Amino acid sequence: MDNIASHEDWKSCFSEIGPGLLLFARQWTRSAADAEDIVQEAFVKFWRRNHKINNRALLYATVRSIALDFIRRDKRRARREATVVADADPTIEPQFKWEDEAQSALAAAVSCLPHDQREVLVLKIWNELTFSEIAGALGISQNTAASRYRYALANLKKSLQPQ
Amino acid sequence: MNDFSELENDLRALRPARPSPVLFERIEEAMAENYKASAAADAGPKIKWFWRFTETPYRFGIGLAAAAAAVILLIARINTDQTRNENTEIAQVSPSSQTRPVLPSFSGRNGVNGSMSSNKFVPSGATQVVYNTRDEGLQFADGSKQPLRRLRYQTQQTWQWRNPSTGASLRVSYPSEEVVLIPVSGQ
Repeated sequence: MDNIASHEDWKSCFSEIGPGLLLFARQWTRSAADAEDIVQEAFVKFWRRNHKINNRALLYATVRSIALDFIRRDKRRARREATVVADADPTIEPQFKWEDEAQSALAAAVSCLPHDQREVLVLKIWNELTFSEIAGALGISQNTAASRYRYALANLKKSLQPQ
Repeated sequence: MNDFSELENDLRALRPARPSPVLFERIEEAMAENYKASAAADAGPKIKWFWRFTETPYRFGIGLAAAAAAVILLIARINTDQTRNENTEIAQVSPSSQTRPVLPSFSGRNGVNGSMSSNKFVPSGATQVVYNTRDEGLQFADGSKQPLRRLRYQTQQTWQWRNPSTGASLRVSYPSEEVVLIPVSGQ
């Protein structure tokens, strides 16, 4: 009964949040295909339990948890991703569609941010979560989320300034 | 107030890539499987319980158990009625202090205020021990294309009642047989 209705509703819901969700999942993976695997597993798991997106923090926490499990599944992958996630590795890039050089530079600057700052930035800018929701999703305090966000913006601004 | 507003606007203008159409299809497939699984889980127990109560051996077992319980309760009632009558006679010849622990509410020759509560047995336990399970293979129910696995359980059921006033207890134990049909899904 309820399942039939929600079975149709998920499409509109996913069209809205899918890109942001995928970008968030990309924080732990090198390839878009791996990120899509994570998003699929997390979204289906979340929808099966909740039947609607009324707790976004929980959805993003589910994506994060599955992404970390995904990394742990393969030891070799885990070692590789650990070095990627550590800090400021330019080989991992969020997938963006840029239209000009300025946007390209901005996307590159985002990918060079420390992982914890980039994670908050992705949730705030492209997923439009509040600091309270970000804190819930990442298991940190609201103040920490807010300060990481400000550090991310400050670092971006600094890196985009002409030398 | 916010010196990063211009940068935030630039970041929002940067659009993340959309998920591939394949991801949509994969999620749709997973949702459909999930829906089928939950529908099957809803239907499964209904079939099982339907068959449990219409299967002849089980119905026979219930009838037998009910008849046995009724006979034993009848005997127990006759016994307790006799006990009450004996106690009434004792109460008539004995000091009330001696009869009070057994039948505390007797107030006199005609007083029977609490006598009914002393005959009241309340359920105190029930056990069902499965001592044999036999798999009788697959079969098809009438008009159904889905195979059902037929399992026969042989059990020993025990019911207990206790009289809180007198501490007397009553125990009924009888063998029973149960046939369960479980839907089998093909791989």
